[in-house]
Amino acid sequence: MDGLITFFASHYALRAETVLKRGGLHAKLIAGPRDLSPNCGVALRFEYADRERAVGLLDAQRVQIDAVHKFVPRSDGWRSAEVAEWRR
Amino acid sequence: MNVRVIYFDNAATSWPKPPEVLAAIGECLAEAGGNPGRAGHRLSIAAARVVEETRELLAEFFNAGDPSRIVFTQNATHALNVALYGLLRPGDHVVTTSIEHNSVMRPLRDLETRGVELAVISCQPDGTLPLEEVRLTLRSRTRLLVTTHASNVLGTVLPIEELAAAAHAVGALCLVDASQTAGALPIDIERTGVDLLAFTGHKALLGPTGTGGLFIRSGLDVAPLMRGGTGSDSDRETQPGFHPDVHESGTLNVAGIAGLAAGVRFLRDVGVDAVAAHERRLVIEFRERAAQIPGLTLYGPEDAASRCGVVSFNLASAGSSEVAQILDDSFGIMARAGLHCASSAHRTAGTFPAGTVRFAFGWFNTSDEIATAMAALGELASWAAQKVAWTV
Repeated sequence: MDGLITFFASHYALRAETVLKRGGLHAKLIAGPRDLSPNCGVALRFEYADRERAVGLLDAQRVQIDAVHKFVPRSDGWRSAEVAEWRR
Repeated sequence: MNVRVIYFDNAATSWPKPPEVLAAIGECLAEAGGNPGRAGHRLSIAAARVVEETRELLAEFFNAGDPSRIVFTQNATHALNVALYGLLRPGDHVVTTSIEHNSVMRPLRDLETRGVELAVISCQPDGTLPLEEVRLTLRSRTRLLVTTHASNVLGTVLPIEELAAAAHAVGALCLVDASQTAGALPIDIERTGVDLLAFTGHKALLGPTGTGGLFIRSGLDVAPLMRGGTGSDSDRETQPGFHPDVHESGTLNVAGIAGLAAGVRFLRDVGVDAVAAHERRLVIEFRERAAQIPGLTLYGPEDAASRCGVVSFNLASAGSSEVAQILDDSFGIMARAGLHCASSAHRTAGTFPAGTVRFAFGWFNTSDEIATAMAALGELASWAAQKVAWTV
């Protein structure tokens, strides 16, 4: 899973996991990378290719997200990708 | 204890709890022992799951819409304080009823000393609220109408849907104290249109003490009562403004919340309608038998449809606390005597300062228990009558 969604509050991360799984998408809660979010809690890994569907499902359920990120293996870690596009 | 306990104090806190509630608390402490929303390890996530699943469960249970608008508190008093101190500012006009519990009345009286203007609508002695008087008292600068859903002294249920509509007609908000009704009577937040609703977890919702919450309508900003760690926005020294974190500083009572979820699931399976019907039947049985006991005075509305499972009474010439003590010592019946943290309600009923004896029925009470209690009250009434003869 090369996609990562960060949230303002863990409340939304937990709800997002349920929403994505109910929508048939892969989702896994992980410790939120500190460089991406000031949230001490969790972020949600998912398949970046599913991002439009994922964001659509979350929007429909009014689950607020911080940003969608993509993992770029050639670099040294998570990078904010298309943050402007996906930031809510 | 060799006398079987008959527990009629469910308005103070419900007992017994369903076994599932005890199991859920133990399981949570054993299996979900992390701090919710603070870390990404599995025990923290497990704890966060407990909290968020319960929040969703409550949002569905009350038909509240967006779960993030339900924030957890220690109890209903805490929730009411969040709402009242978070909303009201000097110069605001507030309307409330004369049958409120001190959890509403004391914050309001304090806010009155800080420049909030308070109007208290006198209810009739049986607790009935004159709606027309409420409409006449509400005005364009009324910020808030605060009302209990049901009196903890008289059992009177107030029409929260009409009250919310009356508040909205002048542009005011409506805050409901559902301490006595959440879990005992069906509550549909969307349909009733209330803006804020405070509930406790340890009464009819059958959860443990130390749990409760506040519903705040979407789009309504309420200043937090407490500020502190939330696990979010940690790069800032100011409180986050988003729900639910804005009102959830400090570690939540996760094990208690797990127990609350088990209580709500139990109620969902049983059906709140069934609970309400059961309590109503017990109240009718109580009142029918009480009417046969000489010297017993009943308070509250006669119509069973306009009340919850709370009844208040006195025996002629016997003090309320004396009666409650004998009921416990000699009959194993747990009742609550006195003023029930609601002196204004007792003034309304004409039972101040002596108070009343209160029976508050719950899902686990039975008709047999009512029969046993009424036989005991019959004996007590005879004793009380003799006591008059001795003292004359």
